[in-house]
Amino acid sequence: MEKVFIDGLSFAMPLLVMAIGAIYSEKSGITNLAVEGFQGFGAFVGALVAVILMPTLGDGSQTVIYIAMVAAFIGGGIYAILHALLCINFRANQTISGVVINILGTALTAFLTSTANKIMNGDSSNKFILGVCDRFTIPGLSQIPVIGGFFKNMYAFEFIIAGIAVAAWYLMYKTRFGMHLRACGENPQAVDAAGGNVARTRFIAVMLSGALSGVGGICFAYSISANFSPSIYMGYGYLAISAMIFGNWNILPTAAVCLFFGLAKSGGYQLCLNMGLPSNYSDIFMMLPYVLTLILLVFFSKKNHPPKAVGEVYDKGKR
Amino acid sequence: MEDYIVEMRHITKRFPGIVANDDVTIQIKRGEVYALLGENGAGKSTLMSMLFGMYEPDSGEIIINGKSVKMRSSNDATAHSIGMVHQHFKLVDNYTVAENIVLGMEPKKRALGIFPMVDMKKANEEIAELSKTYGLEVNPTDKIEDIQVSVRQRVEILKMLYRKADILIFDEPTAVLTPQEIEFLLKIIDGLRQSGKTIILITHKIEEIRRIADRCAILRRGKLIDVLDVKSTPSQEMANLMVGREVSFQAHKSEGKFGDVVLDVQNLTVQNSAKFDVVKNVSFQIRAGEIFAVAGVSGNGQTELSDAVYGMLKAHSGSVRLMGKDITDLSIRERCESGISYIPEDRHHTALFLDFTLGENLAIRRYYKEPFSKKGILKFDEFNRNADEVIERYDIRSGQGRKTTVRSMSGGNQQKAIVGREIEEHSDLIIFVQPTRGMDIGAIENIHRQILAERDRGAAILLISLELDEIMELADTIGVIYNGELLKIAPADTLTSMDVGRYMMGVKDA
Repeated sequence: MEKVFIDGLSFAMPLLVMAIGAIYSEKSGITNLAVEGFQGFGAFVGALVAVILMPTLGDGSQTVIYIAMVAAFIGGGIYAILHALLCINFRANQTISGVVINILGTALTAFLTSTANKIMNGDSSNKFILGVCDRFTIPGLSQIPVIGGFFKNMYAFEFIIAGIAVAAWYLMYKTRFGMHLRACGENPQAVDAAGGNVARTRFIAVMLSGALSGVGGICFAYSISANFSPSIYMGYGYLAISAMIFGNWNILPTAAVCLFFGLAKSGGYQLCLNMGLPSNYSDIFMMLPYVLTLILLVFFSKKNHPPKAVGEVYDKGKR
Repeated sequence: MEDYIVEMRHITKRFPGIVANDDVTIQIKRGEVYALLGENGAGKSTLMSMLFGMYEPDSGEIIINGKSVKMRSSNDATAHSIGMVHQHFKLVDNYTVAENIVLGMEPKKRALGIFPMVDMKKANEEIAELSKTYGLEVNPTDKIEDIQVSVRQRVEILKMLYRKADILIFDEPTAVLTPQEIEFLLKIIDGLRQSGKTIILITHKIEEIRRIADRCAILRRGKLIDVLDVKSTPSQEMANLMVGREVSFQAHKSEGKFGDVVLDVQNLTVQNSAKFDVVKNVSFQIRAGEIFAVAGVSGNGQTELSDAVYGMLKAHSGSVRLMGKDITDLSIRERCESGISYIPEDRHHTALFLDFTLGENLAIRRYYKEPFSKKGILKFDEFNRNADEVIERYDIRSGQGRKTTVRSMSGGNQQKAIVGREIEEHSDLIIFVQPTRGMDIGAIENIHRQILAERDRGAAILLISLELDEIMELADTIGVIYNGELLKIAPADTLTSMDVGRYMMGVKDA
C-alpha cells in the first residue's frame, strides 16, 4: 500500500508541473498541445548538460541533477519560443503548431541525442544514462498511518515542484502579471484598452509553459526511467493537458487530478503485482490513467469553462 | 481665443478601398458635450478611435490642451486624460467589477513585506468611494458576467474616471439600454459635465443630442458636413444633413384592417441546450394584416421564440398553429411551404451563403422546385431571371449585380436581399427579427416601408426588435417578453414607450 502512495506521488508531481505550464499558456489565450514536445526538448537539454558534467562532478553527484533541472527549465523555455512565435507573431493555427512542435521534438531530440553520443563517446546510442534522484523520508509525517506513505522515500524534485506550484499559484492569482495574463485569455481587447501588452504577456506565458514542462520532463527522466531517450516521454504531456482540463484550468484542482492519475497508475501496477499476473498483463493496468481520462471526459466536459479567448488569434483591429 | 481642449486638424484616414475620414477638423471646448452625428460608416468611430490611440491618422494633427501630440496606443490617450466607453464593452467577464476597473493600474502592496501583489482590498475601497462620488452605483465584488448591461456600462465609465480622464468619449452608449436606463445615463453624463469633464458623444440618435449636447458635428461618408449649435437647429435639419436628403421621421402607417387569425401560439415552452426553459408558457395570436411586435431586453427569450415558430428550435410543450393547421412538429421546409417567411437576427449565420452569388442566394428558398430545377437539374436561366427581378424591385445595390459574392456586399444591401427574397414568397406569416440592426436611417426607412406594405397586403407579421422606437412606430399589438414570459400583451396605442420599458425591466401589472 505504501508503495502505491510513494510511486503515485512521484509520478503526480512532474505531471503537475507540466500541467501548470499548460495552464499558464492557455490562461493567457494560447492553446497548448505542445506540452509533450516542450517536456521532451527540455529534458533533452537537461540530460545533455548532465552527461557533460557527470565526468567532472562524479556519476552519483546530486548537484548535477539540480543543474540539469535548471538546464531543462531554460531549454524548455527556449524551445517554446518556437510555439510562441508561430502562434503570436505569425498567427498560425495554435492546434497545428502544437502538434508540429511535438513531432519535431521527438525527431529533433532523437537526432541530437545520437549525434551528441557519437561526439562524446563514439557510439551513436540514442540514450543518455542518468541515474536516479535521491530520496528523502520526512520524519514524523511519514509515521502517520496510511497517508504517511506520501511522505516516505520522496524524490528531492518533489519538494522543488511543490515550491514551484505554490509560486505559480501566487504569480497567477495575486500579482499584476497574473491578473493581466488571465485577462488576456478571457478578453484580450480589454487588456489592450487598459494599456496592457497582449502579445508580450502571451509570449512570456508560453515560454514559462515550456520551461515548466522541461522541468517535468527531466524529473521523469531522473525517476521512472533513469535515462533520457526520446522514447521515455510517451504521452505524459497529453496526460498533463487532460489533468489541466479536468482541473478546469485552475492550479489547485489540477493538482488533485494529477495525484489521482498518479495513484491510478501506481495502484494499477501494484494490483497487477499482487494478483501475481504475468508481466504482459501489467500493460493493461498501465492503461488505467488513460481509461480513467476517457471516463472523466464524459462527466466533466460539460461543466468546464476554458478561457474564453483561448485559441483565437488576437487582432487589434477587430471590434 | 476659445479654450479648446481637443483639436483634430485635417485628419485623413484611409482603409483599404475606403476613405474613413477625409480632411476632418473638429474643435472641442473644455467642459462641453460635443456630439458626433452620422450614419453607420460615416467615420465617427474611426475618428474617435484615432483620438483614443487605436489607429494613427494618415495625415493631420491632434492637439490636446494646445499641444500637438501623437497617439500611438491607448496608453498615450490615458496619459492625456482621454477615456473611452466602447460600443462593445471591453470587460473581462469572469473578473469582478473592481478587477476590471483597476486592470492595468492595479494598486500594489507587498505581502510579508517582500512579495509584490495586487492590493484588491484597497482597489475595492477605492472603487466603492469613486462609485459614490459620481452616483454610479456598482458593487465592486460582483462579477461582470452576473450584472446587467447597464451596470456594465457604469463599470466602463468608472474605468475612465479611475484613470482620471477629463475627456470622456462615449461610442453609441444608448444602443443597448432601455428607456429608463437611457434617462439615467443622460443624467450621469450631465452630472459629469457639471463636474468639469468634457464629453464627446458618438450617436445616430438625434433625440439624445437634443437632450444633452451643446454642439454637434455632422459626418457623412467620412466628410465633416457641418458643426451646429444644438439649441438653434431643428431636429429635421440635423437629420437631413446627416442623411444628405429629406427624411421623414414617421412611417406613414394606415389604419389596420385585421382579418382572421394566422398564427396561433398556445402555451409554448422552449428549452435551451441546458434543458432550461427560455420561453415559458407563451400564448398569443396574430391576425392577417397585424404587426405583432415582441419587445424586450436582449436575451429574454425572443430569439428562441421566433426560432420555435419557424422550427429552428423544437417546442418543448405547447402548440403552434398556422392558418388553423398544427405545425408544431413540422420540419422547417414544411413550415416554409405552409407559408412562413423568416428574416433572422443573424443574417450572416442563418440567412445567407456568404460565398455564394447574390443570384444564388435569392433563389435559395425555391431552388429545388420548378421552374428553378427540373428533374434535379438546376435551371440557371431561371435563377438569373429571378435575381434580376428581385434586385430591380428591391433596389439591391452591389458591384456586379446577380454575380456579386454576397460577402462583398454592404450589410444594408445584404439585408435588402434577404427581405426581398422572403417577401417574394408572399407568405401568410413573415417573421422579422431585428430587421434593421446595424443599419442607418435611410435603409431603416426603406425596410419599415416594406414591413408596412406587407401588413397592408394582409400578411401577419411577427416583429422582434430590441429597438423600442422601431416597435412603437410599427406595431399594432405589442407583447413584452421578460425572462421568457410574455408579461403584457396590449394594443400599441394603449402603451407609451415608458410603459413598455417598465415591462421590459420585469415590472408586472399591479
